[in-house]
Amino acid sequence: MEIYVLVKQVPDPEAIVKVKSDSELEIENKYFTNFFDEIAIEAGLKLREKFGGKVTVLTVDNKKVDALRRGIAMGADDAIQITDPALEGSDQFAIAKALATYLNLKDKPFDLIFAGRQAMDDDAGMVGPAVAELLGIPYVNVITGLEVDDPKKEVKVIREVDGGKEILSCSLPALFTCQKGLNNPRIPQVMNVMKAMKAQIKKVDLAALGLNAEEVGGKAAKIKVQKYLPPPKRPPVKMIKEDFPENVKTLVKLLREEAKII
Amino acid sequence: MDKVDVIIVGGGLAGLSCAYELADSGMTVIVLERGDFSGSKNVTGGRIYLGPLRHYLPNLWKEAPLERHVTKELITLLGDANSTTFELYSDRFNQEPYPSYTILRAKFDRWLADLVSEKGVFVIPQKNVNDLIKEGEKVIGVKTEDEEIGADCVVASDGILSFMAEKAGLRKPFQPQHFALGFKEVIALNSNIIEDRFRLGEKEGAAQLFVGILTKGIMGGGFLYTNQESLSLGIVVGIHSLNQREPREEIYKFLDEFKGRPEIKNLIKGGEVMEYSAHLISEGGIHTIPKVYGNGILITGDAAGLGLNMLVTVRGMEYAMASGVLAGRTIKMAKEKNDFSASTLANYEKLLNESFIMREMSQYQNTLSILENKRLFSKYPQAISDLFEKVMRVDENPKEGLYKTIWETVKKDFLNFETFKDWLQFRKI
Amino acid sequence: MSNEIWVFAEQQEGKVRKVSFELLSAAVDFSKKTNQAVGAVLLGNGLQQAVKSLTPYADKIYLIDDPSLASYTSDVYLINMAPFIKEHQPSVLLGGATSTGKDLFPRLAMHLQTGYAPDCTGLTIEENGKLVAKRPLYGGKVFAEVVFSEARPQMATVRNNTFLVNENLKKSAQVISIPSHTDPAALKKKVVGLEKGAGTKLDITEAEIVVAAGRGIKAPENFKIMEELADVLNASVGTTRATVDEGWRDLKDQIGKSGKNISAKLYMAFGISGAIHHVLGIGTCKTVVAVDTDPNALIFNYADYGIVGDLFQIVPALTEELKKVLKE
Ligand SMILES: Cc1cc2nc3c(=O)[nH]c(=O)nc-3n(C[C@H](O)[C@H](O)[C@H](O)COP(=O)(O)OP(=O)(O)OC[C@H]3O[C@@H](n4cnc5c(N)ncnc54)[C@H](O)[C@@H]3O)c2cc1C
Ligand SMILES: Cc1cc2nc3c(=O)[nH]c(=O)nc-3n(C[C@H](O)[C@H](O)[C@H](O)COP(=O)(O)OP(=O)(O)OC[C@H]3O[C@@H](n4cnc5c(N)ncnc54)[C@H](O)[C@@H]3O)c2cc1C
Ligand SMILES: Nc1ncnc2c1ncn2[C@@H]1O[C@H](COP(=O)(O)O)[C@@H](O)[C@H]1O
Repeated sequence: MEIYVLVKQVPDPEAIVKVKSDSELEIENKYFTNFFDEIAIEAGLKLREKFGGKVTVLTVDNKKVDALRRGIAMGADDAIQITDPALEGSDQFAIAKALATYLNLKDKPFDLIFAGRQAMDDDAGMVGPAVAELLGIPYVNVITGLEVDDPKKEVKVIREVDGGKEILSCSLPALFTCQKGLNNPRIPQVMNVMKAMKAQIKKVDLAALGLNAEEVGGKAAKIKVQKYLPPPKRPPVKMIKEDFPENVKTLVKLLREEAKII
Repeated sequence: MDKVDVIIVGGGLAGLSCAYELADSGMTVIVLERGDFSGSKNVTGGRIYLGPLRHYLPNLWKEAPLERHVTKELITLLGDANSTTFELYSDRFNQEPYPSYTILRAKFDRWLADLVSEKGVFVIPQKNVNDLIKEGEKVIGVKTEDEEIGADCVVASDGILSFMAEKAGLRKPFQPQHFALGFKEVIALNSNIIEDRFRLGEKEGAAQLFVGILTKGIMGGGFLYTNQESLSLGIVVGIHSLNQREPREEIYKFLDEFKGRPEIKNLIKGGEVMEYSAHLISEGGIHTIPKVYGNGILITGDAAGLGLNMLVTVRGMEYAMASGVLAGRTIKMAKEKNDFSASTLANYEKLLNESFIMREMSQYQNTLSILENKRLFSKYPQAISDLFEKVMRVDENPKEGLYKTIWETVKKDFLNFETFKDWLQFRKI
Repeated sequence: MSNEIWVFAEQQEGKVRKVSFELLSAAVDFSKKTNQAVGAVLLGNGLQQAVKSLTPYADKIYLIDDPSLASYTSDVYLINMAPFIKEHQPSVLLGGATSTGKDLFPRLAMHLQTGYAPDCTGLTIEENGKLVAKRPLYGGKVFAEVVFSEARPQMATVRNNTFLVNENLKKSAQVISIPSHTDPAALKKKVVGLEKGAGTKLDITEAEIVVAAGRGIKAPENFKIMEELADVLNASVGTTRATVDEGWRDLKDQIGKSGKNISAKLYMAFGISGAIHHVLGIGTCKTVVAVDTDPNALIFNYADYGIVGDLFQIVPALTEELKKVLKE
């Protein structure tokens, strides 16, 4: 099976992110491989272990390749960095375009593509669906279960929907975005981490993809941030200091009379 | 079994400093850290003295993410409704090279881990080492949950509860009296608010220590350090002294009450707690230092009991970093001889003994027993503040002469046998 | 401006979801400023009731009622929606940030080669019809105001409870029936089963009130007291990752970074320490109440009202007190 996993290095949820100016953020230097992308890598590795084949991790990033190294450390066979100065300022659709173009280039066809449910920086959940659209293949979002029938080239997946679960089937090739619950990503072994840190990462630029600079980057962006804002501030907490059960009565009173919610 | 040259267990200051020293040695060095990243779980009040460290790590400090250099030292004696603060500012603290800085470990450790990684050391998080592999007495590697990795030398830098040192048979389990417990919050505040409230220039910092009622007679004290955009506020209490107390107290309440004091409340006003942590502190002093080397193993930092609790200042970071460097030097030497037996590694002990670490540890060897004196944490701070209050207070009653006021207090609170005994003790510090 | 403001009227089993009415109410407000017509886009099978419920909220209802649309998949919706969107060129297309909205909109936007702002918590419109969308980034640590390029429609999904439903609207929409474009051969995936979640409770993303308990509740069976509290308030019960990982609760009820973002009017947290991963999911809740035995629990930093106390004492008492008060 030819499996591709789309991965991104993002600020850790614990990193401090602040508005520096209308057009600039200040982000603490604490990065990790997107939580959902590790689940995607694990999904790929599990299938390879079962059916054989190859797992390739793929990122579009001009600077950070740690997500690729994480992929190799976990057991991916190959890692590709799509990088080009013209990609600076790309929105999710442009990222998807670069990824889809690469996947279309491949002489060898793919069977499965995994992405994360969303990247923990832009929280968009767009790149996966957009790649599927560009490749014209079926996709299912936010899966928590996966069963592949390799000979028949068929997949059954479970997807989270509001208020329940949906079971879908589709044919391969297909793209899935992965949600917590699908699996528990393995923690790479020490020797594999060492191997990954030394691994050569293959680089691909726009020319190699046959893309023009105008098709990606800031100018091609379909949406633009006009202004960053700090989150709305909550007033300081009111601690209800009375003893039980008066505190409960006071809380109900405050919710009715001050907050006016119930 | 896969094998490397050196395995360092624990990516705290001791482990990373050792890795830094070994980075350009040509050896394959790995640091195994159980946290999600280096610094993720490490707690320090937050002040580091660079004086001695500059000799050991001369090139580290230019780029290091230190917070503020300390120009102002404050000591506050806290009574139950009053307090006295001594404040020292010195131009000498404000001249480069600055003697000490405040520091946030999460940031600093992560930076140091990145730095040593760039230099070719493998810093590998999410790896809990749970055993040593031995061949007879010789340590030949470590075990994690699912792997065994061999090495010529293992460095135990796994902090205060060092499991590795115990496994190697170098250290007995510590006793409660060798530990203190620290609680700490990091409170975010704008840098200009910090500078206003503490009357500091840009980048200048204050270190404020508290003794008195805040620990309710228990050995310990409080600290407040100014970081660039936050304050580190905490309390340290001796576990032994805490355990002896009836009824038992919930220590976290101490911190809450401390924060409620006007002296603190107004300093942290408007700040947002970003981080809350609790951690053990080694304070056994020189008496608890284990054998720091064995066949194929060295012990550094808190794991080796290299920590001091002097009145209310906790010291450990400099010792951790310097001992890490000395361990690194020892390993390089052993590599030249290709001999990692105890007799070669014994050189580490020699280097430690010659260093400022052991000099300080023996100089302060009596502090712990003196610190167990309860009067230090209740009576004296109260008496001094009361006296000061009497001197300063003006009300409708005619004021007694200044001399008389002071003399009365001194007679009552200080001229007695107990205080005389205490005084003799203090001179040993 | 002649182009219309459209809302994707999402239905489940023939019933239009509340978030769609919220968005239609907002669209009607916008239309007053921009002088545009408001259109509701409705797809499914057997939709008479749905059409009726939408009539007061829009000027036009674009309806595709066809057996092939009985269950949602992005493929079949996309095939049916894309042609008439291209034909009518609406200026704006809004949808709820529901599981369907988040599934359909990104792919549709890519297909239409237009801009899409996901998971918004605020929208405004300028007189010239330009949409300004506000959305959280980095889990809500910062917000961004985003604007769209020239491509149309300007697409956005919006969280539940961002706008209020205006129950006083009295439009009478004209229904425009559109034939289905479904070509069964072109469909690449199909729904083979549906597992409904237990109970009739609203999803935590939809509920106006969410009450949640974390590891502090100690055992799965203790959630009973939470259910009882929820019943009095007509609330849904949420939780933390800690209990989901223990297997006490279902993932669908997990609030936070690797679970769901909620925008409830009232969120009450019991025995939840307030890890950043959790509180990132409640940033847009209006009022937050926290109850924890640990006075230093970080959750109090994110709350409006706090009680230091034992949830096993507080929750039942709160249920009783609410019963009493709400009866009055
Ligand atoms: C509240 C408080 C205030 C303090 N204030 C000061 C101060 O102002 N100045 C000062 O100099 N010192 C201070 N100290 C002391 C100082 O923090 C320590 O002495 C110093 O951190 C010791 O460094 P270390 O590298 O030896 O240990 P640590 O920093 O504790 O690092 C040990 C590392 O090992 C890892 N580890 C442990 N076990 C394993 C395992 N089995 N497998 C893998 N990894 C493992 C841990 O996760 C950790 O990262 C303070 C301490 C406390 C608690
Ligand atoms: C990448 C990543 C993603 C994550 N995503 C999420 C996420 O989406 N959502 C999420 O919730 N977490 C998430 N987490 C986990 C998060 O970091 C915390 O571990 C988790 O939220 C803790 O859950 P908790 O508050 O229930 O448990 P704890 O932190 O154990 O807190 C339990 C609380 O209960 C209190 N308590 C105990 N007994 C009582 C009593 N009788 N009455 C009242 N209070 C009591 C305690 O004082 C304590 O504050 C994520 C972590 C990572 C690393
Ligand atoms: N720059 C990128 N390179 C590779 N994959 C990406 C990139 N950005 C996003 N992805 C993938 O798309 C998913 C959703 O991202 P987003 O649409 O940005 O929320 C992520 O979890 C990744 O799997």
